[in-house]
Formats: sequence, C-alpha cells, structure tokens
Amino acid sequence: MKLPVTNENGYFEIRLESIGGLGANLCGKMLGELGAVTLGLNAASFSSYGSEKRGSPVKAYIRWAEENREIGINSPVENPHILGLFHEALAGKLPVTAGVTEKTKIVINTDASPDEMRKRLQLCGGEVFCIDALNIAMEAKTRINMVMLGAIAKASGFVPLEAAEAIAKETIGKKYPALLEANLEGVRRGYNETKSAFFKEDGTYEKISYREAKSDWGYENAPIGGVNPIFGSTVSNDLSSSREGYIPLFLQEKCINCGLCDTACPDMVFRFEKGEYKGKPAMVNMGLDYHHCKGCLRCVEVCPTNALVMGVEREHPKPKWFVRNKDLIVDKMEFEDAGANSWVTSESYLTEKRIDGGVV
Amino acid sequence: MEQQRVLFESGNEVAAYAAKQINYHVMGYYPITPSTQIAEFLDQMKADGEHEICMIPAEGEHSAAGICYGASTGGGRVFNATSANGLLYALEQLPVQSGTRFPMVMNVACRTVSGPLCIKGDHSDIMYCLNTGWIILFANTPQAVYDMNICALKIAEQVKLPVIVAFDGFFTSHQKRRCMVFENDKTVQDFIGKHDAEYSALDLQNPVSIGSYMNEPDVLNNKFQLHQAMEEAKGTMTTVFDAYAQLSGRQYAAAEGYRTEDAEVVLHLLGSAYHTAKVVVDKLREKGKKVGVFTTNILRPYPAEELYELCKNVKTILVGDRQDSYGAKGGNLSMELKAMLQEKGSMAKVLTRIYGLGGKDFYEKDAEEMLLACYDAEVERFDYLGKYPGETVESAQYFAPLAEKETNLGLMKCIEQNGKLQVEGGRLNETTEMPKRIAPGHGACPGCGIPVNLNLLLRGIEGNVVLLFQTGCGMVVTTGYPKTAFKVPYVHNLFQNGAATLTGLAEMFRERQRRGEYPDGEITFIMVSGDGGMDIGMGSALGTAIRNNRLILFEYDNGGYMNTGYQLSYSTPMGAKSATSHVGQAQYGKTFFNKDMPQIMAATGIPYVATVAESNPIDFIKKAAKAQHYANYHGMAYIKAISACPLNWGDKPNLERKVIGAAVDSCYFPLYEVEQGITAISYDPGQKKIPVTDWLRMMGRTKHLINEKYKDITDEIQKEIERRWEILKEKAGNPLL
Repeated sequence: MKLPVTNENGYFEIRLESIGGLGANLCGKMLGELGAVTLGLNAASFSSYGSEKRGSPVKAYIRWAEENREIGINSPVENPHILGLFHEALAGKLPVTAGVTEKTKIVINTDASPDEMRKRLQLCGGEVFCIDALNIAMEAKTRINMVMLGAIAKASGFVPLEAAEAIAKETIGKKYPALLEANLEGVRRGYNETKSAFFKEDGTYEKISYREAKSDWGYENAPIGGVNPIFGSTVSNDLSSSREGYIPLFLQEKCINCGLCDTACPDMVFRFEKGEYKGKPAMVNMGLDYHHCKGCLRCVEVCPTNALVMGVEREHPKPKWFVRNKDLIVDKMEFEDAGANSWVTSESYLTEKRIDGGVV
Repeated sequence: MEQQRVLFESGNEVAAYAAKQINYHVMGYYPITPSTQIAEFLDQMKADGEHEICMIPAEGEHSAAGICYGASTGGGRVFNATSANGLLYALEQLPVQSGTRFPMVMNVACRTVSGPLCIKGDHSDIMYCLNTGWIILFANTPQAVYDMNICALKIAEQVKLPVIVAFDGFFTSHQKRRCMVFENDKTVQDFIGKHDAEYSALDLQNPVSIGSYMNEPDVLNNKFQLHQAMEEAKGTMTTVFDAYAQLSGRQYAAAEGYRTEDAEVVLHLLGSAYHTAKVVVDKLREKGKKVGVFTTNILRPYPAEELYELCKNVKTILVGDRQDSYGAKGGNLSMELKAMLQEKGSMAKVLTRIYGLGGKDFYEKDAEEMLLACYDAEVERFDYLGKYPGETVESAQYFAPLAEKETNLGLMKCIEQNGKLQVEGGRLNETTEMPKRIAPGHGACPGCGIPVNLNLLLRGIEGNVVLLFQTGCGMVVTTGYPKTAFKVPYVHNLFQNGAATLTGLAEMFRERQRRGEYPDGEITFIMVSGDGGMDIGMGSALGTAIRNNRLILFEYDNGGYMNTGYQLSYSTPMGAKSATSHVGQAQYGKTFFNKDMPQIMAATGIPYVATVAESNPIDFIKKAAKAQHYANYHGMAYIKAISACPLNWGDKPNLERKVIGAAVDSCYFPLYEVEQGITAISYDPGQKKIPVTDWLRMMGRTKHLINEKYKDITDEIQKEIERRWEILKEKAGNPLL
C-alpha cells in the first residue's frame, strides 16, 4: 500500500503519550503490527523503555514505511503525523504536545470538545479528534487502548476499520477468545465516535518543538560519582497524575487518631502532630499532603471509623484537610509532575488479562 | 530458499523463537534487563508445549553460567541470555567454557555496566568479553538477531568454541520489527545438523577428565590451540553465512559498509546506530559531501581484512564508541581499528566520539555532527558527544538532617529479661511521632508494600540510621536521579553483595570510633533487600550472618523479581504464575516450594530472626526495636516482611493488607521469632486459621490454582505449610529445638 503522507525519510510516524496501565504499549505494538502484517508496510514500534507500571508516564512510537524502504531511525518520534493522548491529565503537565504542527492529527481520550482541548493543550494547530474512550471502555467492557486504536485508525484517514479489527482479532482473539467481541466493539466505537475539528496555525498558541531531556546537573556541577547530596528531594515530586480518579477524603470529626492509616500509606501522606484527643495529649491526625498521594486508597480500607472514605477527585478540587508535609523547612517549593518510575521492561506477563477484564 | 513467514517481533522475541526452533537441550538463566524477555518468551512457549528445552532458573548469573557449562560437557545443546552486570558476574565462567572448548550460544542484550546503576543500553558490557575466547557476533537488527542465532550454533559446533550473539539493549532487544522466520522448525534443525560432541562427561565407554590442572609449559600450547580455533572460525563463518544465504536469501558478511567506495570521510559504528547513520549519509551526499559509514558484524575474531577493505581509501575515520576504555582515549572499537590501520600502513586520521552511553538516543543530528567533525582540521581527536556542563541552580534543602535528638524519642524501650528482650511502648498513635527517614514523592506503584514495610521498620528504630539497599524496586523507586527519597545516609550496591558491603561500612564506623576519629554514639546499620536479592545475594548474606556482624538485614518479600516485570524468585509461592513460570497446557506455574529463608538464617545461629507482616503492625514495630538492640550490641538481626505488589500479585492496591492478613492466617507466612536460638510464635491464628486456598484465590497470580484440576498442587502446598507450621510449634515448645 502507498502511504498518503510521509516525512523526509519516507516514514509515517505516530507517537502515543500515556500513563502506565492504560495499555499504550500494547496499542503501539498493535499499530506496528497492523502496518507490518495487515497493511503490508515496513514497520517499527517501541516504547519509552522503563515502565508499564500503573501511573508512570509512557510513550510509544510507531513508524510505517513502504514495504521496501528500510527504517533506519531508532530514536523517538519528534514530529508525529498522529499524536495519541491516552489520559486527559497529561494535558499541560508534561511536554506531550512537542513537535505538533497543523499537519498533525491529535487523538485525545476526553469527553471534552475539540475546541476545549485545543485550549487546554495550547495547541498551535492541527486536526483534533476527541473520543470519550474511558466512557466507551466502561460501557463496552473493553480497555481504553482498544478504543484509541479505533480512533487512531479513523484519524489516519487511510487505515480501514477492518484493518484495526483484524489486528485486534489477531492479538486478543487468539489468547482470550471470550474477550474478543467486547474489544472489537471498543475498536468500532473508537472509529465511529470521534469528534474532530481542524485548527490552523493562527498564532494563538506557540509551536513547541521536540527537545531531548536535559538535567540541571552536568559534568561541571554534578557531584562526582553520581552521589546525591540533596537529601529527601523526591518531596518536590507531585504524583497526582498517578491517581486514577479517586482520592481519600478525611472526616476529622470521625477520626480516633489510631494511626492505622499512617501504617498503611505507602506515600507518607498523613501529618500527625502533637496535640490533644479526648482531653489527653496525643498525636493528632491533621490531614493529608495530596501532592504525594497516588490514590491507592489503602488508608480508606484500614480506617476503623470511616474517617477516611473514597471520593471522586474532581469533586474535591481543594480539600480543606490538604496540609503540607510538616518536616519541610523550605518556605516555597516548586513541584515537579512525576509518576511512578520503576522499571518494568518485560511484557509477556503484563499483557495478560487484567483483573478488570481488559487486556493491556 | 526455504519457506518463511513474517513476524512482527523484537530482537528478544526472535532470539527466543530461534532457540525454540533449534530446541536446545538446556537453558540455564537468570533474569536481567534487557535480556530477560528471552527466557520469558521461551517459558511461555514451553508452557504452550511448543518446545522441550529444559529451562533452569538459576539463583544468579554465575550459577546460570555454571549450569550451562555443566550441561555443555554432557554433549547436548546449551543456551543462555544475559546483560550488563549479570554478564560481568558470569564473566569468570566464560574463559572456562572456551578454554575447555565446549560450544554453546549465549545472547547478550547489551546494557550499561553499573555504577551508578543504569538499565539502558550501551556497549560497556560486551567489550569486557573481548578477551574471553568466545566468538562474538553483533546483530544490528532484530532480523539479524534471528539469523545470527541460527548461524551461531552451527559455527560453535564446527570450531568447538562458545559463541555470543550480542545486540543493542532496547534499541534492538525491545524494538519490534518486521522479521522473516522459517516456517518449519525442521528447516533450522536440518541446517544446523547433528551435534557430535568430541568429548562428553556422559560417555561412560570413553571416560575423560574435563578441566585439567595445568601450568607452564602446557597452558601456552592450550591457548595457542584456542587461537587456532579463532583463526579457523573466520573461514567457518564465511561458509556458514554463505550456506545460510542459500537457505534464507539473507547474506551476512564479517563487516559491511554503506557508500564507502568513494568516501572521503566515514563513520565506524557498531549496532543499531549504523542504520541511523546510513540515513544521514544519504542526506549529506545530496549536499555533495562524500561520506560513508561502515560497521562490523563480528567482534571476535576481529575481521581486520574485511574492515580494511571498507576504509582503505578514506582520509578521516570517526569511530563512534558506545563505551569508553577510560584513560585510553578511545573505546575498544577505536583502539582495534587503529591497531588494524597501523598494521596495514594506513595514514588515515582516526577520531573518536564516545556517544549514547546509558541508552542516550542516537539521533540523526548526532550522526551528522560526527560526520561534519571529520571535515574540521582543528577538531579534538577524542571527545564525548552530547555531554553538557550543566545549569547553575539554587540548591534547595528540603529538610533538616535527622540528628540523634529528632529520632531518639524514647517511644520504645528494650529490657533484657531472662536472656530475652521485652519491648515496652511501640503503640501506633505514639509512634507516628517518629520522623520518616524516607521522604514522600518516591516512585513506587500506588499501593506498593515496600514503603509501608520500610516505614514500619524504621518507626521501631530510634536514633541514627545508615541504610544500604541492594538492587530492587525499593532502590529504583527511591533514588531516580537527580532526586533521592533518603533523608539519612544511604548506599546502594548490587544484589550479590549488599550484606558484605554493609559489613565493611559498619566495621569502618566501629574502627574509626575505636581510633578516636569519630564521635561516640551508636549508628544502626540496616540492609534492605528484596527476595530476589536474597536469592542471588544469599551467599553474602549467610557469610555475614556466620561472621555475626552487627547489622540488621531486612528482607521485603513480594515473592518475585517485580522490578524487572515479575520473574519467579525462589520465594514465589509454588504454583504461582510469573513471567518465567507461565501457566499453560504443559505447565502449571512455579514448580517448587517457596524458600524458607528465616529458617536458613536461624540455622546460622545469629541472635535474632523474626518474621513480620503489616497486618500486625504493633508486633512489627516491636520486632524492629528488638532487632536494633541485637544489631547494636550482639550481632546480626534478620527480619523478613511479606510485602504486597499489587501490580504483579494481580489484586487491588487498597486490599493488600487483607491479602497479607490472609497469608498470615493461613500460616503460609507465620509470624514468629528466633531469639538467641529459642523459637517463639508471635501470632497463632488458632481457630481463625484458614486453608491456603483462601489466600491463593485473592491474587491473580495464584487464583488459577483454585481450579479442581490443580487440586494436587494446592494439596501439596497445604501439606508443606502444615509441615513447616508443626515444626515451628514444636520448636516453640522446646528451647533445644
């Protein structure tokens, strides 16, 4: 097949931006395979190696070229023809829109409109395709990645729905035949339910060009040997993008200060201070520092008095029990958006069926 | 040409696929990023009944290499895969394999050698192998990984030398590409032919001694034979590559170049970067620059003639080295090329650029910068490409250091009574006052058990603390550069060796104190390891226990190598599925029981051994306080916690404490301590004791076992739990046991 548009190297390029757990890695592999096997193209696909853990930023890259053209480039996709954004919360936090021009098709998992998303992402231009993949995935009992696959096929303008379905059959049908129909439904709805609008590069927002990551510390100022003298510096990480929509709510009047929440929290979120409880001196729970809360809800589960309950994050934009970590001695701190950063580089186990029924 | 079909797979996947088609007899392995997937895919295929390779998960790479060596002396076909420090850990075994002339094939997915610890790809590991007497092929695409794996075994068996198939970690090992593979396994097997080992330790009619004790003058002759085999290999490889081209339509050469014929300047690159440079060569050619690029597909034996043919007419060569031989002003690729050119009497100018270390991407602009540098007469001959001096930044101090007074709060008190310790205090509300030695903002997964366990441990420990972590999730999620979560001094060492390392540090403290160079007072030294570290590092941990060095060894046991994507550890529950113990028609998960590490530790006679679980937090904190007392005044203390991993246990993050409670209530993970040799059970579920299946059904990794067809397995697990529990109760009832 002939690609309708390619870059100077003769490649059609796709970049997926996601957080771990939404299946961007598998979606990237499927898009690569779709090119190589279904469309008869030459293809390459790879991920930002280092994470398919829940909550950590993930990138996947796909290159397509005509069958006999060698793909020599192994570095990340800088100026994608299609950019897929799997998670709304990525908007405005990490430089996920780098390299976008008005020729880019941007596929976003959101229930908002293309106009709204252009604004939120501050896109210089491009054709924006919005798809409510989360909602469709829940309705069709599939995963976000299948819906996104369909939407990306649609946005490409040349990948037929049948090709996307074929690759879903190939990937999921063989291993989990019982899940196939729901996932195909996800792909179809992704293909059929995008809302799109085109925006010219009209100067409303600036173009963001792709840049290689760079640290402040270089060979002249980094402490030798990789030694890190800034102790406790992860405290400046804001991990809220790791949450999947829920936070613990704290009802202090119900709290008996038993301290169980503090024994269960992996993220050192609770602030206990010397005070008084029932007329006696005690350590008193003052609240939570949500910068570091990953929304695991362990505390809700162990709280014996329902002083901690599950809440929907967007319904509580500024909880009144949001307190600062008490040990900090800096007055002001610039938080950096971060995600879980563990490394997981295998996928044979991770592509298995998840407890919630989908495949990632 | 034989029938082939298209696969869209990564280098690791096709390496595994080739191994499956060959149907090796034995694979000894130990998982290490980025080569791990090779064993994982083979395990998956084994579970599905697609091959018969005997897969042996070793407890470390040194043992994996030992398994391979032993297997190869038995006359069959042997396979291994490793990377980076795993390769270096096994390095000692490599000359044994080649020096005694037993063929095998090992894949090396190249990765940066520690430290600082880096998981990404460069060539710093493979270059350590140049002197091992192994043939080294370097594949620069996934297709080449497949093809070379097939050629490698044929070459190995013909010249009786082991062969490494190396390729770029991640760029080649993980990037999925269109690959052609043979439709029929038999095509591959016929091509390689039958293996007739010249010598075998299983040949009872012709008994041979393998591995002589040999000094001068014989070693010199023995090594000359090895040299001769390497020389012979050059011809053999050409023959094998040619025969393979007949079969596959894909021709390999010892070295290859692109537009070098009339080039003035050329790049010399190894691995995937070669293909990127070809794209750039075309672009610069369009601008009138006569440039080219060449690479080698073989590192040993060094293809001097073939490489010279590719660069004999050029004025300037820039060698891109993805590793450095520090102090030599060049990586090994540079030095070897220079040596070859000198021998040929070439006057070409050779520049070196060290690039792409630690997995730094190789962009088109990097290749362009390298090529253009060749036109600059003033340019440095040796430099690092992509380095930068850094930006001036205000250095923040987020916390006050945790001095003695902030952490010596008297929340717990240990009192010696009848040779045993009683702990007063440790209540949950009061101990929330203990400042956290680890800062929030670390990168553990939502609901991870590791920080939960570390916080409970450190809550029970007053005063000064110095931590040492072995490699594992706990270390990776806390110290991702340029940040660190540690508020107290911290050291990382690789996981063969943490206990020994902390011994050195603790003894340095005491020795400096003894000499009056360090103020009086106590420091509690704590080593933290996962259960993986207690596999590969068990020797060092037991050595430390037997020496009874004064420190705490804390093991968080999540039952698997979670950091690298959940391969089985020796502490994984029997029957559990993992990336190296898949469930399929031919396999039900892990085949042997979880290792009983506390009992192994107790057998060393250290003064304190305890098991803890977050479901019993007060017990946990008190045991931490006891361990501190023993570590400060008596000797080594060992504490093991069962630690939740929602990602790989396949359960919900919020429910982990319940899952752990069930492990305790089933006595799969009994809570007890062995204090001065005397066992005491800390928690007996009594009437609340549940069958192990009630625990297994809570986790995705084990819930398949609930199926009636695995009843034999769960019965066996239950039986083993009862056996261990009964023994514990007997020990608790009798101080002599």
